[in-house]
Amino acid sequence: MSEEQDQNQVSGQPQQTPAKAGGSKSKSKSKSKSKEAQEQAISPQQSVWPFALAFALAVLLIGFIMHPIVLGIGVVLVAVAIIGWGLERR
Amino acid sequence: MATIVERPSVVRRKRFGETYIGSWIMTTDHKKIGIMYIMTGFFSFLVGGLEALLIRTQLAQPNGHVLSPEVYNEVFTMHGTTMIFLFVMPMLTGLGNYIVPLMIGARDMAFPRINAFGFWLVLFGALFLNSSFLFIGPNGFSAAPNGGWFYYAPLSEQQYGCGVAGVVGCVNADFWALGILLLGISSIASGLNFVVTILRLRAPGMTMNRVPLFTWMTLITSFLLLFALPSLTAAAVMLLLDRHLGTHFFDATFHGDPLLWQHLFWSFGHPEVYILILPAFGIISEVLPVFSRKPIFGYTFIAWSGVAIGFLSFTVWAHHMFAVGLPTIAQAFFATSTTLIAIPTAVKIFNWIATVYGGKVSLKAPMLFALGFIAMFLIGGINGAALAVVPFDYQVTDTYFVVSHLHYVLFGGTVFGVFAGLYYWFPKMTGKLLGDGWGQVQFWLMLIGVNLTFFPMHILGILGMPRRIYTYPGNLGYNELNLMATVGAFIIALSILVFIYNVIISLRSGKEAGTDPWDAFTLEWDTASPPKVYNFLTIPIVRSRRPFYDMKNPDIADWKTATH
Repeated sequence: MSEEQDQNQVSGQPQQTPAKAGGSKSKSKSKSKSKEAQEQAISPQQSVWPFALAFALAVLLIGFIMHPIVLGIGVVLVAVAIIGWGLERR
Repeated sequence: MATIVERPSVVRRKRFGETYIGSWIMTTDHKKIGIMYIMTGFFSFLVGGLEALLIRTQLAQPNGHVLSPEVYNEVFTMHGTTMIFLFVMPMLTGLGNYIVPLMIGARDMAFPRINAFGFWLVLFGALFLNSSFLFIGPNGFSAAPNGGWFYYAPLSEQQYGCGVAGVVGCVNADFWALGILLLGISSIASGLNFVVTILRLRAPGMTMNRVPLFTWMTLITSFLLLFALPSLTAAAVMLLLDRHLGTHFFDATFHGDPLLWQHLFWSFGHPEVYILILPAFGIISEVLPVFSRKPIFGYTFIAWSGVAIGFLSFTVWAHHMFAVGLPTIAQAFFATSTTLIAIPTAVKIFNWIATVYGGKVSLKAPMLFALGFIAMFLIGGINGAALAVVPFDYQVTDTYFVVSHLHYVLFGGTVFGVFAGLYYWFPKMTGKLLGDGWGQVQFWLMLIGVNLTFFPMHILGILGMPRRIYTYPGNLGYNELNLMATVGAFIIALSILVFIYNVIISLRSGKEAGTDPWDAFTLEWDTASPPKVYNFLTIPIVRSRRPFYDMKNPDIADWKTATH
């Protein structure tokens, strides 16, 4: 089966991507849009905050070892990352 | 006449998450996170491997001068720490991240952001720990941890092992304790995520009795992480309190107890050994049936022996401490429990052999590594059982015999399991097959290298060579055996170079894998290679332990005959 197809062979419902589905251009465009929307609806949203919080924690630890100013920056970054993560619209 | 005015097309600036780098930094897709875990783990493997080569070069000949004693301490400490916390754990978490949701018919992990957070903690934890090499003190030594991967007290106390003095005094042990805390948070996050994912997000019809064995082992490992890590975390916090706030938990001069550290560390450390090996058991349990063209023999026994190992792993920790002077009754208890744990482990080995027995065996690279795993792990298991015998343990404790044992388990076992998994699932992750010929070359080089490196260490241990010495005199009978071990280590390094070459040429011009190159049994092969971001547009319905096999063979589907 080609990679273009969404395989779901156990449930017996292989789906075709718009490119393979044929039909007019506008039809294929609208199908593509609805598929994109469907994909977005079932996939988790991106977020930068997990990266930001982990980075902030690393800065905090380096600060703990090396210099109080870096430690202070780390504390601020951790607070910003936690608040940003908490307030993120999902 | 109407004029048609063409509106200038509006070009939207790409959001950060749509750029190549942004899509990786902001991803919450379990597959991308899995790949990042695997890449980080493999890079750490290379770093830890270089450290191993430095150790072996130093020990190749008596009175070696490649490394100074201080640097040697740092290198072997970081080798152990890197291989355990930065290679094996991330690598297995990465494989689990990529494969488990696909195997159970889920669209992602239960907590995608926590999943991403867990990965980034590992990456920054790795950078944090290794950055310690960059801080050089006035005495010429770096701030890298230097008290061994289990950092026994009193070596971890403030007055010992000082390479670099920061604002908080000597920082070598701080780097280790704080790095371990950071990585511990990551492991707890990923453990929790796996537990919830596996218990709550399975496809309809996938009862626990039908869950693939790799997923079973990942579930048990995750529980072990959740219950074992608090002990290490508590110990690391107590150590930091000792070092900076004047407590004396581990300081004998103030009536603290250094043995408390050992108890706390090993009550994490021995379950940790099973955390490092159980997912490899799972990989082997997936690979063997596919390449033997048979269902796994004794599914229930393999799954429940994993549970038994998980429970028993919490009862054996003090076998690491026989030589500290435990009461006889404690020695008897821990010797018995250690021997007992060999039973469920042997159950697995018998089941794997029975799976292969009578099958149409295809000796492709994943299968070779799986069979290599069984053989090497068996040696590691048998010499481990020998170490459970207290009088023998007295003789060889803290010698190279122990080094040999742990490397047969963790290299001969886990690393062979990891490569079996990489060769098996690489086509799913990339759409390309890894070259089988180069895989075979790598396997044989690695098998020879592992045995040449680690088998002589048994004899070195029995001859009395202590672990962690930075050199040795030439008249103790260690010379040839050490040279053999060093040659073996370089052969292992060569096998890893072969693997890297294989990956590069396979990605560039490898054979297209298609969706199901191995004619496999489980749900991950029912998706495109690599799978779409949402995995399954329609969640599959499962009716047996081999759902994909059923779909391909409706006339002889398992659910028609099997009762599970």
